[in-house]
Amino acid sequence: MHPKTADRIATVFFWTIGLITLSILLFIILEIFGRGLLTALKPSFFWGQPKTDAPGGGVRPMLFSSIYLACLTILISLPISLGAAIYMNEFARRGRFTNFIRFCLDSLATLPSIVFGIFGMTLFVIRLRWSYCLLAGACTLALLNLPIFLRSTEEALRQVPQTYREASMSLGSTRWATIRKVVLPTAMPGIITGAILPIGRIMGESAAVIYTTGLFVNFLPRSPLDPAAPLAGYIWYAQTEAWVPDYRQIVNGGAALLLIIVFLINYLARKLAKVYSEKKTLGGI
Amino acid sequence: MKNFFKSSGDSYIKALTLICASLSFLAIALIFYFIISESMEALTKVGITNILFSTKWNPDRNQYGILAFLCGTVMTTLGGLIIGAPLGIGTAIFLDQVAPRRMGEIVRRGVELLAGIPSVVIGWFGLTILVPAIARVTNSSGYGILAASVVLGVMVLPTITTLSVESLRSLPPELKEASASMGATRWQTIRRILIPAAREGLLVATILGMGRAIGETMAVQMVVGNANQLTFSLTQNTSTLTSRIVTDMGEAPPGIFRSSLFVMALVLLIFAMLLIITIRLVSRKKGD
Repeated sequence: MHPKTADRIATVFFWTIGLITLSILLFIILEIFGRGLLTALKPSFFWGQPKTDAPGGGVRPMLFSSIYLACLTILISLPISLGAAIYMNEFARRGRFTNFIRFCLDSLATLPSIVFGIFGMTLFVIRLRWSYCLLAGACTLALLNLPIFLRSTEEALRQVPQTYREASMSLGSTRWATIRKVVLPTAMPGIITGAILPIGRIMGESAAVIYTTGLFVNFLPRSPLDPAAPLAGYIWYAQTEAWVPDYRQIVNGGAALLLIIVFLINYLARKLAKVYSEKKTLGGI
Repeated sequence: MKNFFKSSGDSYIKALTLICASLSFLAIALIFYFIISESMEALTKVGITNILFSTKWNPDRNQYGILAFLCGTVMTTLGGLIIGAPLGIGTAIFLDQVAPRRMGEIVRRGVELLAGIPSVVIGWFGLTILVPAIARVTNSSGYGILAASVVLGVMVLPTITTLSVESLRSLPPELKEASASMGATRWQTIRRILIPAAREGLLVATILGMGRAIGETMAVQMVVGNANQLTFSLTQNTSTLTSRIVTDMGEAPPGIFRSSLFVMALVLLIFAMLLIITIRLVSRKKGD
């Protein structure tokens, strides 16, 4: 075959593949919104009480659980990953130990979320006797998302120019003073962006949540030790148990609502990251 | 004296942050400890061979063979990769080499969105759209390995695409320029230069996609049918390790039944560690 012809065929081929990928996405999104968007946007759905015996139930406690769980997870994960990132970036020398920590992080990132789920159930729910609660779910998700949190925090610290540190140290400050007064304030926008990005993932997570946080509640959880039912897990539960006549409606609406929330959060986080990086290139901060 | 406080403050902070960094190791160790200790009961009372090499799963009759689910995991994962890997790598090449800027931007955004869709939503999609469609075409229940493979293909697609794009981007631009200056067409450059040069990266992307497919739980559970049988048919109800764990964990009483679910988790854990080690080996080879 003439190389020119082969090239043309290949171009058509790659265009087709790109368009297939795009149409898979469009098809899924259109189907989900087509079936669930109207339900999802009804206040009686997203702000209504769930019902166990009659149709027309809403998902207010589930929505609240998801948000509560995401906040709690970040509250636990952020200080730990910040500490770990400071160690890896500011104190540690490249060597066996940091290599080993990276290996552990890679492993954490590859473990299936259901393994985290039943680990969290064994440790937090059963052994520590917390029972099904937000805190158990948040601790489990904090471990699950640790590699992601840590990577973005470390990236933010790495963006701080080395000269800032040298200038501070040459004025006689200690390492800790340098970190506290120079590195952290400079890296803060990046750290915050990095903390927001995984929220979408946390809210969409179900396998790690259903056996740690709970599947159904009809009140708003208050304390972290209250049981809760995040939306993603509830969608699965409603689908599997199907105990109300209009469960299909609930599942369709729930899927659309979850998708809207996740897309919105991801969009905002990316927007924030973009604003932050533009500011940086202008020499701002 | 002041200096003393200063430096002791430093070492105090250093120790504190060191503890944070060590937490990732602690987490892995704890996960291993608890999964192993919980699976001991089944492993000792039923026996490793009776668990790993038997397809008979019947907790009521004290049969705990997980081979059928192991096969289910292997087949759905392979199926997912057969669908997802060519599409993912193809999309990556499209994004990196072929697509005009605007189109590339749109597809890149689309892949990002696809990556963000929660697995329970993909599962919902499989259950509501895919399973009835397969049922109509093949005259079966529609649940099974085929449905699970398509769902997994969709889920590994963004993983493989993103990582493949990264590995293509990391190639030195001179490679492409040199090839073009020799008069090679774009396809010749892609086939003879770029794909061989990015081979390790593309392999790592596929392996990580495989990890995602093995561990995917909710979406698979919703479309695989959850029967206890070993099947090589694409459209018969069956189970994977993950779907079995999530289906039975809620009802399993403490004892051998529950413990056998932890054995499945242990198998998943070992799979994941093997993948990580393989990736380390592949990327080290690239480094040399």
